[in-house]
Amino acid sequence: MTTTLETVWHNRIFYLFVLPFAVLTILFGVWPIVLSIMVSFTASATALRPNPTYVGFANYAAIFADPAFLASLLRTFLYTAVAVVVNIGFAFGMAVLIDSPLLRRGGLLLRLALFLPVVTPDVAGYVVWRWLYDRSFGAINALFDTVGLPAFAGLTTGPTAMISLLIAELWHHAGFYMLIFHANLAIRDRALEEAAHVDGATAWQRWRYVILPQLKPAFIINTVYALIQFLKTFTVVVVMTKGGPNEATNFVSYYAYQLFDQGRYGEATAMASVLFLIVIGVSLTIYRLGDREAAR
Amino acid sequence: MSADAQMTRISRPLQIAAYAFAALVGLAFLYPYWWMLVSAFRSTRAIMDDPLRLLPETLDLSIFTEIASLGGVSLARYIANSLAITTASTVLSVVVTALGAYALTRKPQLPGFTALRYGFLVTIMYPYMLLVIPVYLVMFKLGLLGSYAGIVLFLALGPIQFFLFEQFFRKIPGEVIEAAIIDGANEAQILFRIVLPMASSITVTVALITFLLNWAQWFPVLVISKTPDTYTLPVALLSMNTELGANFQGIMALAVITTLPVAGLFLLAQKRVMAGMASGAVKG
Repeated sequence: MTTTLETVWHNRIFYLFVLPFAVLTILFGVWPIVLSIMVSFTASATALRPNPTYVGFANYAAIFADPAFLASLLRTFLYTAVAVVVNIGFAFGMAVLIDSPLLRRGGLLLRLALFLPVVTPDVAGYVVWRWLYDRSFGAINALFDTVGLPAFAGLTTGPTAMISLLIAELWHHAGFYMLIFHANLAIRDRALEEAAHVDGATAWQRWRYVILPQLKPAFIINTVYALIQFLKTFTVVVVMTKGGPNEATNFVSYYAYQLFDQGRYGEATAMASVLFLIVIGVSLTIYRLGDREAAR
Repeated sequence: MSADAQMTRISRPLQIAAYAFAALVGLAFLYPYWWMLVSAFRSTRAIMDDPLRLLPETLDLSIFTEIASLGGVSLARYIANSLAITTASTVLSVVVTALGAYALTRKPQLPGFTALRYGFLVTIMYPYMLLVIPVYLVMFKLGLLGSYAGIVLFLALGPIQFFLFEQFFRKIPGEVIEAAIIDGANEAQILFRIVLPMASSITVTVALITFLLNWAQWFPVLVISKTPDTYTLPVALLSMNTELGANFQGIMALAVITTLPVAGLFLLAQKRVMAGMASGAVKG
């Protein structure tokens, strides 16, 4: 015990350096998470009192018996699956195009155009998209009308609302995934490709057997980031649909927030715990799958 | 000729097709900005008549006087809030994270440091939107609800800042620090005379990225605020967008004001920002 104390005292300057960071992490990270988990085991009406009533897993039982929550969870999974595939596929295609000798200088401009939305405040971007989809103001339907396409229902029907959110989110996020792919492409070993070329490999074979395996880190990072990103889809719903029409875009984060807003703290925080476990489980699974592949 | 160009014989039609496709995608990504900008200068009536018009009929600036006051708070105040909150949280974030990441990378084995590291990693894994909800309770208990301090303190913590600094400090050769110790430098001198001067470039990168990210923050600001007096531009924009009978032209004008500063900053420093974002993300 004394030795631990001596170590601490001897290194006190490092504790001083780390102190502000530790305070912020504990106050605004660890404490709220612990609090959230504790609240998820209390009765909502008493959650904010000094002596809340603990109800065990009642809130968890309640949310898993709530068809609206289960529907929201399923909807979130579906949206996440589609959004991850579409975003990663699009970003990968764009990174390859930017990296290819076909574009030369144009590549930089495309890179800027794709990345600008990433640093654009998401609220501002989604507000503009919301109105772009609008039937009377929006440019999208005006364009469809001009070229003779049928009107796009946009945010007014369930399925088109999902698609509309997906497009707006692709606009906001894909540039980031593109950047990761592009960075990975830039550091790949080009000598291997030349060697494969000399050995008579076709362009397809070079891609499949020489380049793609080297891009695995980018695929893993992007998949994990995108999964986490879309599992907690929130801002775009708040700005564009408020969960509607008819709950069609009411994802888990938004549903939990609605319950919180109604003072149903216990259930809201139980949902937060469930989503947290899903996010951690999914990320660890992807990393582990990646490691196993690498070990082969 | 580069090796790449030798391998893929570039055919002219293929190159034209690639350029056309790239231009199409690029324009599709940039169009919302143009539409937002043009709509800010056109009357609501004019937009309904012709949403696709590429230039405003007249350069009507009256909307900026019309939105000079929003929800009982002046536009100037929202702008000042955005600048003050973003700047303060950026400075705080850079200082706190640099010191913290330095201590954690120099002496990872000290008692409590591993626990702190895990605490931080769990925090950034926790769904951000759902973390903000219990943060409301914490702010309530700390008496920081409705204060600038509460907003600034919460915004000072971020994953990419930590990973960028950590990555940088890890790369400092041990010999540099050992040499300083042999020369009799104490730890404060090592940090302030040797390490931090080396870190000036990464510090600028972290500050830029933090500024861009924090400018966009809205949910913590909304949750910690008690009244619109502490709203930043994105929050003001959101509440304006939520109103019934929305003032379309006003919303677009406010979106322009919210977007332009960070879009400009990014374009000025695009190389640094993109390189920083890529390496900060790869570490995480």
